[in-house]
Amino acid sequence: MTSVIPSAPVPLSYEEAAVMGQRSMKKHHVAIMIVHWFNAATWILEVTTGVALITSRLFSVAPAWFSALVTGVFGSRANLLTFHVALGCLWIALLLPYAIFGFRNYLRAEMLNFFEEDDRRWLVIRLKLILKRTTEALPPQDAYNAGQKAFALVVWAMVPLVAASGLVMAFQLVSTAVVGWAVVVHFMAVGAVVAGLLVHVYMGAVFPEEKPAFFSMITGNVNELFAYRHHFKWWRKVKLEEQAREQADQPKVGAPGAP
Amino acid sequence: MVTDLRKCVTCHACTVACSAEWGVPAGQGRTHVRTTPLAGTFPDLMSSPMVEQCNHCEHPPCLEACPSGATFKDVAGVVQVDKDVCIGCGFCVDACPYDARFIHSLNRKVDKCDFCAPRRARGEQPACVATCTAHAKYFGDLEDRDSDVYRMVFRDGARRMETHSVAVGPNVFYLGKPEHLDLALTNFPPHPPRLLTAGQTLQKVVRPLLIGMVAATFLGQAIAFFAQIRKGEEEHDD
Repeated sequence: MTSVIPSAPVPLSYEEAAVMGQRSMKKHHVAIMIVHWFNAATWILEVTTGVALITSRLFSVAPAWFSALVTGVFGSRANLLTFHVALGCLWIALLLPYAIFGFRNYLRAEMLNFFEEDDRRWLVIRLKLILKRTTEALPPQDAYNAGQKAFALVVWAMVPLVAASGLVMAFQLVSTAVVGWAVVVHFMAVGAVVAGLLVHVYMGAVFPEEKPAFFSMITGNVNELFAYRHHFKWWRKVKLEEQAREQADQPKVGAPGAP
Repeated sequence: MVTDLRKCVTCHACTVACSAEWGVPAGQGRTHVRTTPLAGTFPDLMSSPMVEQCNHCEHPPCLEACPSGATFKDVAGVVQVDKDVCIGCGFCVDACPYDARFIHSLNRKVDKCDFCAPRRARGEQPACVATCTAHAKYFGDLEDRDSDVYRMVFRDGARRMETHSVAVGPNVFYLGKPEHLDLALTNFPPHPPRLLTAGQTLQKVVRPLLIGMVAATFLGQAIAFFAQIRKGEEEHDD
């Protein structure tokens, strides 16, 4: 017997919620988790060394002592830049195949489908909820919520710019004028990602409602209750697939072994 | 450094020695010898040579323009470029009022006079000083009262090539008749320090925007965080 899968979130009984809270669903492939944490470590190191590299009064974004501290750790500014460039190149080398071959699997079209009505409403209500201006329920979301999608769009737009401008500066490509403008592009693109990263890290590590999402990046799993409440569309899709599989596995009437 | 323009015979030995010493590509140079056009009326005509190079200024505009911190002043006050840190953006080239910097056409990084730092480390004079056929160039410690340069600057009146509008404290001094020095300065004046459009965009648009964007996000989160603390621990779906 198969249970009925609701097409919109319905209130759960205490028992139902308790059972769902115990069941886990696979959210992330291990490859995604490895890439995620490699990416996180890279961004921390690259932003730290990058900020320390900018010492001019006209352009610096951190106090002089910070630059002196980081330069001191690396021994010299040349070592600091070499590290920044080498790690950046490794990052590009590892992320490029992921971006190309993982596109079909991970960067799904559903994430690009950003301007859905539910997503727009989700962003507005989420903001109002934080500011305590509404008690409305958040619209059902897919595997990634509108906030995650918005951040993904910023990252997708900016990361190619960060990588390209970084390579231009590191290897003095094209011409002096292009290198000069690459400095500007690198600054701007990294700034946009970092502003988004602050929200991303806050939501993942500090915001209590998204705690299971944080742990899903370590275990790969989320509990079904969290999936039901925060990513209903995704939950429903997974359940429908499960149901379809179960039905396909049922022996046909009249076949050997059938009742 | 002091250059005695009265002795200079514009033989270009200094530029050749410099280029040979440091492998400067043809068509580029760390030092240049120029000659002003003739001034005055016949038969009272005059002209002056001018030997240009990095002036190792007291307040070098190139240092501020460098985004990667490759340009620095060493303990002796010599303005140097760390090639391993230079990214070749060209901001400093435009910033130098004396056009003493250039992008090396082979390694595509900035290049300029460093008073022959490796030669000095070996106890030798800079190549241009050692080669000058007329002995017109002098290098030494301006704080050493027994040095030639101290005597020329503080007793003989060697002067800086600077104007009222562009005074960044160049540390290459010139000796010569006042009218010759004036002629050289009028013909080859320093230009006010410039910042390339890219540099200006970075300084005036991108940097404030970036700091504002990150600060606003941070502030928003701080507010949300304190609201969360005030609300206290709640049960969630974990």
